[in-house]
Amino acid sequence: MSWIENRFEEGLILTSVDWAQNWARAYSIWPLTFGLACCAIEMMATGMSRWDLDRFGWGAYRATPRQADLMIVAGTVTYKMASRLKRLFSQMPEPRWVIAMGACTVGGGPYFKHGYHVVKGVDLIVPVDVYIPGCPPRPEALLEGILRLQDKIRHMSRAKDPVVEANKEALAV
Amino acid sequence: MTADLLAQTDAIVRGDTSTELVLGIVLFLAVGVLVPFVILLAGRFFRPSLPDAEKALPYECGEPPIGDSWVQFDLRFYVVALVFIIFDVEIALFWPWAVVFGGGDQQVKTAALYDMLFFFGVIVVGFLYLWRYGYLDWVRASPSERGETLLEREASA
Repeated sequence: MSWIENRFEEGLILTSVDWAQNWARAYSIWPLTFGLACCAIEMMATGMSRWDLDRFGWGAYRATPRQADLMIVAGTVTYKMASRLKRLFSQMPEPRWVIAMGACTVGGGPYFKHGYHVVKGVDLIVPVDVYIPGCPPRPEALLEGILRLQDKIRHMSRAKDPVVEANKEALAV
Repeated sequence: MTADLLAQTDAIVRGDTSTELVLGIVLFLAVGVLVPFVILLAGRFFRPSLPDAEKALPYECGEPPIGDSWVQFDLRFYVVALVFIIFDVEIALFWPWAVVFGGGDQQVKTAALYDMLFFFGVIVVGFLYLWRYGYLDWVRASPSERGETLLEREASA
């Protein structure tokens, strides 16, 4: 948690800070290169000139989790991959987001019944912000998914949480 | 008088006097030093800092890391890299030389040949040095380090 978070009541200055920081974050989401299966082809297509992820400021795919904000889990997550995925996620700096792209990551997809090796949804391993259904989802769907993530980022607040404040003693125990 | 004053003012506005010049440099330096500090300081208040053990692990593509990321690197690779560069540059220069001077005037061809022979000679000196002092051997020790003289080495060979 940063210094400014949960320190001040909501006011004009803090909402301006919120707006500015959320604006900056929402238009510079750097995804971690994390293509696991066929969904990755659609993810690559999204980055190319036809769909051009870069026009939103999201196109800077990072090869290291240290510089990434977003993990687009594009493809089938096997049990063998799960521990690696978890480790990579925990190596990303906060704030970090996860998009579950495609049926496999949403809930096992075509491997749900007989896939002895497939994790039945990536949300069993890492917290997922946006689910994109499809097998695989079209690039437009991925763009839509990141736009929904943008909405989420725009609503981030650094103000004191009134619920937490009211229950401070109860939570401290 | 008025024209003189005007010229002076003009010089100051355009930054022609040496005082203005120094002031400009000082301002430039001060802002240049200040800006990174201000940016880093501002960032301290807004960025979350939540280090934990797993986040601090060396990054090995998600694999469990094998040891520390700061490892000792074998110095012998340094010599190998240097030797590679010698031959690499040699080839890189020989190829265009052969293509450009391969045909044409006999006089130019002769001059180019001697030029290249001189260059090759310089490289060969380096190569002989490497050979003589055993840099081409992966397990390296000069005869004196092994405690034998050159004559003994030749006798044993």
